[in-house]
Amino acid sequence: MIATLLTSQTRTLRNGMRVVVHEDRTSPVVAVHLMYHVGSRHERPGRTGLAHLLEHLLFEGTEHAPKGTFDDLLERVGGSNNGSTWLDRTCYHETVPTHAVELALWLERDRMAFFLPALNETILNTQRSVVINERLEAYENRPYGLADERLHQMLFPPEHPYSWPTIGYTRDLEAITLADTRSFYQRYYVPSNAVLVLAGDLAADPAFALAERFFGDLPSARPPAQASTADPGFPAERRDSMSDEVSFPRVYRAYAVPAYGTPEWVALDVLAYVLADGESSRLQRALVREGRLAQDVDSYLYPTERAAVFGIVATARSGVSPEMLEAALDAVLVEVLEKGVDSAELAGAVRRAQRDQIAELATVESRAEELAYATLVLGSAGALAEMLELYTAVTPEGVRRVLGEYLVAKRSVTLIVVPAERQRAQHAA
Amino acid sequence: MPPELLPRPRLGPPPPPRAPRPERWTLSNGLRVLAAPRAGLPQVVLRLVIPAGSSADPAEFPGTASLVGSLLTEGTRSRQADAFSTQIDRLGACIGAHVGHDLAAVEMVLLADTLAPGLELLADAMVYPAFRAGETERVRAETLDGILARADEPANVADDRAAEEIFGPVHPYGQPVWGSAEAVTAVSAEVLRQFHQVHYRPEGSFLVASGEFDPGELARILKREFAGWHGTASRPAVPVPDSLPRAAGRRVSLAWGDATQAEIRVAGVGLARKSPDWIPAAVANYILGGSTITSRLGANLREEKGWTYGIHSSFADGFQPAGWGVETSVDIEVADDALDEIHRELLRVTQELVRPEELRRAKDALILSLPRAFETPGGVASRLATLEVHALPQDYWERLPARIEAVSADDVQQIAAEHFAPERLVSVVVGHTGEGA
Repeated sequence: MIATLLTSQTRTLRNGMRVVVHEDRTSPVVAVHLMYHVGSRHERPGRTGLAHLLEHLLFEGTEHAPKGTFDDLLERVGGSNNGSTWLDRTCYHETVPTHAVELALWLERDRMAFFLPALNETILNTQRSVVINERLEAYENRPYGLADERLHQMLFPPEHPYSWPTIGYTRDLEAITLADTRSFYQRYYVPSNAVLVLAGDLAADPAFALAERFFGDLPSARPPAQASTADPGFPAERRDSMSDEVSFPRVYRAYAVPAYGTPEWVALDVLAYVLADGESSRLQRALVREGRLAQDVDSYLYPTERAAVFGIVATARSGVSPEMLEAALDAVLVEVLEKGVDSAELAGAVRRAQRDQIAELATVESRAEELAYATLVLGSAGALAEMLELYTAVTPEGVRRVLGEYLVAKRSVTLIVVPAERQRAQHAA
Repeated sequence: MPPELLPRPRLGPPPPPRAPRPERWTLSNGLRVLAAPRAGLPQVVLRLVIPAGSSADPAEFPGTASLVGSLLTEGTRSRQADAFSTQIDRLGACIGAHVGHDLAAVEMVLLADTLAPGLELLADAMVYPAFRAGETERVRAETLDGILARADEPANVADDRAAEEIFGPVHPYGQPVWGSAEAVTAVSAEVLRQFHQVHYRPEGSFLVASGEFDPGELARILKREFAGWHGTASRPAVPVPDSLPRAAGRRVSLAWGDATQAEIRVAGVGLARKSPDWIPAAVANYILGGSTITSRLGANLREEKGWTYGIHSSFADGFQPAGWGVETSVDIEVADDALDEIHRELLRVTQELVRPEELRRAKDALILSLPRAFETPGGVASRLATLEVHALPQDYWERLPARIEAVSADDVQQIAAEHFAPERLVSVVVGHTGEGA
């Protein structure tokens, strides 16, 4: 059902850059997606946040498209553009009306080949300030905003690169130098470390010709080594609590589990739907609807490369202690482990997963991103459709097996966020 | 050898947007239907829009409309809540109500092979909700906890306070749709039932379907499933708000513990969605604050000063003039400077004509981005619903480029004078104790 939405062709340019083309003529729109195999995982302690800060710098102008030009040119042609950085990858993307695809490629070429001459201390300092504000806005000044950061510190040993947040620590952001950004860029922003996806209203042959024209002459460089990461090991049932300016306690439970794309990961994803997606799911029913202990409960599974994170988050209702909530959560896991799931329940969970996959593939922009990520992390664009096919093969026994193997105490960390005594907003003037 | 500079590409003519013209018909009970089928993505998005927003709340029970919306999917006369949610989940569907000030919208997303059972459940929820005591009490308690939790986030506090400052304590646009804790605690199941009885009626409501389906099949299923639904829903009379906030020109500061950022809103009264000024206003807003990187506010406060991660301005759409406002959060140390700088930009756009190239850029951005608006079934459903809600012409999207093209620099200045002038706006700062002028 979904595989047909993802048909693509891949070629590799002489410099090692992989190019994926996905044709869909439904709307007169093309997505250009350039994903580099570099993320916060490639940073070192003391320089956390470097990958993401560099992404910001790459929006501040290149030699032939000076500061302000990038967004200006793209908006004038009706395009949108953005970038994002995560643990394993950094991406830059433009979605444009069909006539403007060459402009997007020209700009990305400048970003890959002509960035360093435009980089200077002023740009670095301004964007350092923007990123520190992003950290304040998205994490520090938001209820429960620092919980995920703490959870990763607990889940991974300090030398493991998933132990620090992509946004970086403020002290590290303050320490990053121009030389740090230059060398990071030179090492990772090379054609052989990138995947270009063209998706939408264009045919394969002209698309490959465009890729060759705009990127084929860029010098090749050896792809950076993807350092092996330490096994996350077993966090051995670590627990912690932190206080925050919130009204209700929240329980965070997380487990280190097999990486994105593995059959175990797919079964765990289905388990996440069984547990907490939909009003009839196990945790919704036990914690929210019948138990009336939680206001909300969610489960998630990160699609990360070296290990994945399976998380469960529940917010207590008034008068409910986090201990009660955690005990109820554990009771559900035990029940599923002991009694399993029935086949109708499983089929519903798979269909809900497919519903979300289809929704995520609704735009050529998100399809391009998924294909680029599969190429980098799973080895080919086609591996994405193959992985999505695995969902239909998941069995009740398979779900129970991954629950019993991975969602176990010795792999778990638990973080309780408790309300701090605080001063409420007051009208002052 | 270093790579050579390639000339910047010369682009051909842009593709025309493909705005779908939906098939339209009316069921015998008066429910209007807009159907925009498109094969490709095996998904159907259904949106049922009912004139049952918070402006229809009984005066003594603000929050009624919102509670009714939440309870639609919590059990029907023939299905216990658990049976209803199990059936939704087994289809792989999702359903939820979004209650706004003017309207309520129930949205359902289905896999394409479940249209008939999906619509059967949608109709059951719309026509026969049960409001049983157990579910009502649970949703009431969740709503009360939600009201408390909302106040934990300074951004929410800033939004809610700005709305209250603009529209005052009486107009529905000044009040949160979820109501007050007192009213949510006090409202009886009978009031909720009564609200549903009066407002959830087919005549006056409409359904949009977008995605992969056969319109003939849709028509047959709708006729069958909504056969037992009758009556007329009248659109609640939303009063015209005052055009000036009472505290216009003033600043309201709210302290916030040890906040590291200040949430800033500079807001006033905007335009009704059906206003002929809506399009010049969109152009004017784009120039001032529609894009966080290239608009004047973003270019200044983010790109030049580095004071914020983002700053935007926007008009809210409503039957009556809803809000217009600037929103941002900045490092607490620069809150005063940021507010001054926002006011400087507001004055500038009010006092000086925008430059021709700035106007050109805004028009191009708005016109040429239209193809993207119709890319997904959800996007199509939203845009069709907008036309139907505000009784805009059927060729609205086709004529939009020409109407944007016709906007002049004088039009922009006039909009700016009417909506962006600092003396017409209230500034709300959360997380800062500075005395305001």
